[in-house]
Amino acid sequence: MPERDSSRIELLQGTLDILILRTLAAGRAHGHAIAKHIRQTSEEVLHVETGSLYPALHRLEAKGWIAASWDLSDKGKRARYYRLTALGKKRVGAEHSRWEKFSRAMGLVLNTTPKEA
Amino acid sequence: MMVFLRKLIWLFRRRTREKDLEEELRFHVEETTEELQLGSAPPDHAELAALRDLGNLSLVREDTRAAWTWSWLEQLGQDCRYALRGMRRNPLFTAMAALSLALGVGANTAIASFLDALLLRALPVPAPHRLAVLNWHNSFENDTVFHGGSGSVYDDPKFGHTSRIFPYPAFEAFQKQQSVFSSLFGYLPTRNLDLQIGGEAEIAAGEFVSGDFFRGLELTPAAGRLLLPEDDRSGTPAVVVLSYGFSKTHFGSAGAGVGQSIVINNVPFIVVGVTPAGFEGVDPSFAARFFMPVHGNVLVDPNRFARGGGRRYVNPNDYWIELMGRLRPGVNMSQAEAQLATVFHGWVETTAATEPERAHLPGLHLTDGATGIDTLRRIYSDPFILLSIMVSLILAIACSNIANLLLARAAARRREMAVRLGIGAGRARVLRQLLTESFVLSALGGLLGVLVAIGGIRFLTVTLENNIGTFPLHPGLNGQVLAAAAAISAFTGLLFGLAPALEAARVDVMPSLRGGPTDQPASRPRLLRLSLSHVLITIQIALSALLLIGAGLFVRTLRNLQSVELGFSRQQILLFKINARQAGHRDPELTMFYRDLQRSLASIPGVRSATVSNSPLVGEGTWGSPVIPLGAPAPEHPPDGHGSFPRGLNTHILTVGPDFFSTMQIPLLAGREFDERDDPGSPHVAIVNQAWAQANLADRNPMGQQIVLETNGKRQQMEIVGVARNARYGDIKGAYPAVVYMAFWQNLYVPPEEATYALRAERDPLALASAVREIVRQADSRIPITGLKTQAAMIDQTMTGETMFARLCMGFAILALTIACVGLYGTVAHTVARRTNEIGVRIALGASRYQVVWLAMRQMAVVASIGLLVGVIAAFGLSRPVESLLFGVKPIDPPTIAVAVVTLIIAAGTAAYIPARRASRIEPIVALRHE
Repeated sequence: MPERDSSRIELLQGTLDILILRTLAAGRAHGHAIAKHIRQTSEEVLHVETGSLYPALHRLEAKGWIAASWDLSDKGKRARYYRLTALGKKRVGAEHSRWEKFSRAMGLVLNTTPKEA
Repeated sequence: MMVFLRKLIWLFRRRTREKDLEEELRFHVEETTEELQLGSAPPDHAELAALRDLGNLSLVREDTRAAWTWSWLEQLGQDCRYALRGMRRNPLFTAMAALSLALGVGANTAIASFLDALLLRALPVPAPHRLAVLNWHNSFENDTVFHGGSGSVYDDPKFGHTSRIFPYPAFEAFQKQQSVFSSLFGYLPTRNLDLQIGGEAEIAAGEFVSGDFFRGLELTPAAGRLLLPEDDRSGTPAVVVLSYGFSKTHFGSAGAGVGQSIVINNVPFIVVGVTPAGFEGVDPSFAARFFMPVHGNVLVDPNRFARGGGRRYVNPNDYWIELMGRLRPGVNMSQAEAQLATVFHGWVETTAATEPERAHLPGLHLTDGATGIDTLRRIYSDPFILLSIMVSLILAIACSNIANLLLARAAARRREMAVRLGIGAGRARVLRQLLTESFVLSALGGLLGVLVAIGGIRFLTVTLENNIGTFPLHPGLNGQVLAAAAAISAFTGLLFGLAPALEAARVDVMPSLRGGPTDQPASRPRLLRLSLSHVLITIQIALSALLLIGAGLFVRTLRNLQSVELGFSRQQILLFKINARQAGHRDPELTMFYRDLQRSLASIPGVRSATVSNSPLVGEGTWGSPVIPLGAPAPEHPPDGHGSFPRGLNTHILTVGPDFFSTMQIPLLAGREFDERDDPGSPHVAIVNQAWAQANLADRNPMGQQIVLETNGKRQQMEIVGVARNARYGDIKGAYPAVVYMAFWQNLYVPPEEATYALRAERDPLALASAVREIVRQADSRIPITGLKTQAAMIDQTMTGETMFARLCMGFAILALTIACVGLYGTVAHTVARRTNEIGVRIALGASRYQVVWLAMRQMAVVASIGLLVGVIAAFGLSRPVESLLFGVKPIDPPTIAVAVVTLIIAAGTAAYIPARRASRIEPIVALRHE
């Protein structure tokens, strides 16, 4: 059982969706794999809470951005696989650029040396 | 849009999704466990850790589920579940509220279904609103161009004497006016005819229709073809069209009968087609089994239509055919009426033979033909409208009752509401929850109400059918009526939910939570609540009083009708009818046949006497023709014929066989009754009743007087051999009719067709039925028996409407009273519960039990008295409209009012006393500890 890492960052509101979409852009995956992928790719910084993962997946499914189907996992167990829909693929780009804008804006503010008012 | 659809689909697949989610999460836990095991944790530790990682499992599920549907829907579901749980916790409240609502909604739906069937349902034909029915009206009664006919003339409050029957030449005159109707057609009911289909004999009635009938109604056949103008000419092959239902029952399917031959009154007819399903003629009160050309009446009913070589088709003063037309496109009803009135006036002027007739010409008006002709509607619409007013009053009582119950409950739930508001629920959210609860309650009430309605409709239909034979309307829970019921219960939910909900949501949080006495004496909400519930009870009592008084009046009307003196005995008599002429018997053998049958019937063991007449005494109208003393001036064109005419028949005629007066127990004041010797060869004789003697002979002794009957151009002279006491013939209300009885065997009047036999039994008359059937079968196996019933049943049948009406009114009044008493009981019980402390203190301080009871009931007594007063005043105000429905009782009838008031005081007093007595039994110690 890994110790809670102080370097872990709480996910910001609205970022989980783009993380999921981006993960699925690489190909279909089940919930556990999505969480693992995000954790590993972020070098163990971003931990997706299971309590938010599944509601998010189902919400995206309701919106029609991703679709789900049952299939056998590598180990031969039945798993619910998610993949991007055509609509979802379009959204990835839009969400991505939205995030870029946000992160650039954050960077601009944070990197400016404070001046005396 | 797609999102909506997806969510909707998920809503219906909730269970599958639930299972999927379960499996998905299980898979997740397994994966995590495995992962941790790889990280060398012990297996059970690993699973625990995995579960811990997942967090609160049910929260995850809950959150995920929230993505499936809409949050408001979730909340609605919650509210509904909460409401249902609350209802289960208060079964008495729920039962009272739902039951009173169910009865209110049910009664309304049932009556609405009848009204719908009676007033609103259009004929099943294309564009029924383009149909118009022709009527004539005349404010004059005597010396008019109407010399006689077949059908009915009635008194219309607006038009005076009104009728739909026209002479055949008028039909031809209207047909020449081409610019109004795209088609004009005539019809008249056949009487009961004798049908033989594949060897089976049966009595059935249909309609004679003119050649344009089906074209005008724009009907398409279910099989074969419908009648055409070329079928409706004298001398053409005899063809008939069957109704869908009749064809199905007799030939197995709609089409199977086409081309077959059926025998109607001994005339073979070829079935050429079948009408579409659902169409049973243009009179909703009568389901026609078959349709034949108008000119077919000469073949099957020669007595009425073939006499004098088809004279009825050319006589302009003989009224017998009903007319309907389909308006041309672009022509409206009033334009059509104006044009046709001119045509009719021009024509009818030429039919006037004398100066008075010319001065008394009838006018013409059109009525909407969309719902067909309105025989039944005229009779039943007033009572049914009154009933629908009654049931809506009952619904009002039920609603105010529920409002009261909810008010009481809202007061009891102040604490709960305060808690909800206190922990942060918005007032709107609380309001919504309370409204949801009322809606759930009203939905339950509405649902039960539909069941009550189905039961009620079935009950009413069965009752009507038992009384009238066949009830031709088919009231059913159709879409409209169901929608009306749904609207009523939804509206009720909103109405009775809103006031208490508003009040409950206005609760002050702090005092209620502090747990002090939940009803602060002088606070505004309480004042409002008390006065509101008192107003509701006042209304309930007033409406109950009104309904009780109304019901009392109709019950008295029924009593009066039932105790009308008939002048003949209604007990121990069995009646039935046969028609030997339809089976092929002809004069003079026909009379012999009827006579022999009477003799055989009289010899049945258990029969005291048997007799025969050409019509039953009540229930089927009367025969009438002018009869005057020899040498008296003849009246000019007095009405002549058979039917139901309100006035104008001066002399009613009944031809009767031997033993008629002893069988019916009509006393003879002088002379003798007819016997076996009064046959065609003996001197012509008659028996008159007091009313006729008084009107025609004044003070002269009737015995031995010569009298003259004139009918159809024939003159018969007879000698009066007996005087009978007045007895009813035809109608059972009003003055006794003037009647001349003629000897059946002498056959001087209209040659007999149908004969009515009456048997006086020693014991139960109905026990003779099988013996009667056997005797008739032996006499002629082709003749079916119809109308087998007791005299008492026959008389009751004439009062079907009044009986039903009185019973329904009584039922509704009791219903209203019950619901009002439930409300009263609930309110007093609530008051007692609320004031338990106070009462305990009073008893502890020495108040007597009597004082406590009075304390609890005092307010209700005041409120009920006001309600009673209002109700009685309203009854005075509404006396006018019901007057026409009463018989033998004034609309303001002190005994009825007194009985209603006393009943109400007893019922309301009891309802209030039961909880009040409970208050007086409160133990002071318990009450004070209650705090």
